[in-house]
Amino acid sequence: ELPPSQFPASRASAVALGYLCYLRGGPGRGLQLRELRRARRQDIDDVGHKYYLELELEDVLDKARTVSCTAEVLYHLGSKTSAPDVQVTVQGELRSTEEADQEFYNWIRSLEKELVAENIPDSHGNVPPELEPIHLLAWVASGYLIWQNSTENTKFHLAQVKHVKQVKRSDEDLQFDYVVLLHEMVSQEVLPWQVTLLWHPQRGARVSQ
Amino acid sequence: ANMKLLLIFSALIGASLCLETFVGHQVLRIKTKNEEQVKQLQLLESLEHLELDFWINPSAPALPVDVRIPAVSVQSVKAFLESQGIEYSILIEDLQDVLDKEKQDMAESAQRERSSSFDFGTYHTLDDINEELDHLASEYSFVEKIQIGESYEKRPLYVLKFSTGGSRRPAIWLDAGIHSREWVTQASALWIANKIASDYGTDDSITSLLDKMDLFLLPVANPDGFVYTHTSNRMWRKTRSKIPGSICVGVDPNRNWDAGFGGPGASNNPCSESYHGPSANSEVEVKSVVDFIKNHGNFKAFLTLHSYSQLLMYPYGYKCTRPDDYAELESLGRAAASSIRSLYGTTFQVGTICSTIYQASGGSIDWSYDNGIKYSFAFELRDTGRYGFLLPANQIIPAAKETWLGLKRIMEHVRN
Repeated sequence: ELPPSQFPASRASAVALGYLCYLRGGPGRGLQLRELRRARRQDIDDVGHKYYLELELEDVLDKARTVSCTAEVLYHLGSKTSAPDVQVTVQGELRSTEEADQEFYNWIRSLEKELVAENIPDSHGNVPPELEPIHLLAWVASGYLIWQNSTENTKFHLAQVKHVKQVKRSDEDLQFDYVVLLHEMVSQEVLPWQVTLLWHPQRGARVSQ
Repeated sequence: ANMKLLLIFSALIGASLCLETFVGHQVLRIKTKNEEQVKQLQLLESLEHLELDFWINPSAPALPVDVRIPAVSVQSVKAFLESQGIEYSILIEDLQDVLDKEKQDMAESAQRERSSSFDFGTYHTLDDINEELDHLASEYSFVEKIQIGESYEKRPLYVLKFSTGGSRRPAIWLDAGIHSREWVTQASALWIANKIASDYGTDDSITSLLDKMDLFLLPVANPDGFVYTHTSNRMWRKTRSKIPGSICVGVDPNRNWDAGFGGPGASNNPCSESYHGPSANSEVEVKSVVDFIKNHGNFKAFLTLHSYSQLLMYPYGYKCTRPDDYAELESLGRAAASSIRSLYGTTFQVGTICSTIYQASGGSIDWSYDNGIKYSFAFELRDTGRYGFLLPANQIIPAAKETWLGLKRIMEHVRN
């Protein structure tokens, strides 16, 4: 059993949250941790450390709405190149974003010039309302990076979207090439990462390799 | 009218120096009908023992006569006027009430002027912050701006000293912005400075605190880094000192204190964000604070603001063992976190640095604790990662308000 206020459990929840943001986030949905209710750790010989978490999450666009979920995060023993295995189960329904997603999709598809933006949020924490969906998609992309690159000795957050450029495609996906700054809490480094995100209102998001 | 102004001026001076009050003094307007009545008033004027103060002297029947009458004489003067059939009306029922109201109005308008010229709910440049420190020091007699040293790039390190008297009273230290990118901390420190200054005299807790103790507040502990976050790199954390033999710049000022210096949780790579520096106290920003506190010799609490993560921590960071005062610090930390939560529901986790966030050597509160300052706490303010260092300006004042409640709780305990 682990105290939720201490760092091992809190680092594991950041990984679980990153993974969930990648899977379920979108231009109309961002999830953040409201509370880590409970955490356990299991040391599995020759395999690694497995964390069992009970989380309460909130929708950043609708703070009154929370949802519970359970997660398992397995950090593999010794290997620095292998991402943790994560499983998340959401109890209940996430708020539907179908309408907002479709609106955003139509808006981007209608742009004559490809969208370009930088410094989201700006130095003062401002995000222009029309760029909020772009910000939330950056969370999706960052979620992937956080999940893929975390170890028990790191805790990542998206610090800022340094640059984003939309790339028009011949298929139906939207493509955004991001440069995001990730803040790593233990080393305190803020480092730029390049990541390309593909998104479709029905098919969801995926990071393009 | 000049007479009136002169009177009010001297009354205010008098009132503030506690020389005279005008409680029960009345100002009457007397309407004379003829020369005879004017002469009667001139007679009255000559009776010095009555201490009558004519604002408009009796001169001709057509002109009104205004006179201030001390409380003890009011009844007898009125009796005299009535017996002579001289008409009068009461211009001012109780002069002290009028003076008190005027003083209050002036204070309120000065306050409005002050707060309308500095917006605490937005992020400011170093120059603007320094100007506001000057403003606070000039507005409040018990607030003084002192310089405790200079940064690497020769910027002054300004501390606000809150002291209502005494000589080297037991003191509380509060700093912000040691890591320059943590903008909500410098901004909150300014709000807190203004809060303390303006609430002294009206808030029981602050008043009793400053009546017994002094408070020293360093709102921008790393001015070079702070300027750099405005001009070049919003994510800059360290100082801006040149490191011999390296192209990289800057030392993590919160790994540079003489507490487990160079141990785990700090880097010896100059290019790292947690580079501890060539030696303990190598950074002038750190050394200036160390020297100041040591020379003072009577600090009881050392409080420092960081962001983000919403944590309230006490020693140790450089080792993962509990401090001797663990029970008291944990309990006080929880009480402070509870005070913070009472305002907007913001939750802060409480614990030692090492167990809550990470092992980190060379930190300021470890140094202060090991140097006899028992109440050493480090706060990590809002948020928990959604905006991180880039906290929207509309959250500055809420963050400052809730943080202040936590700080106050700790200070009250220290006072007692």
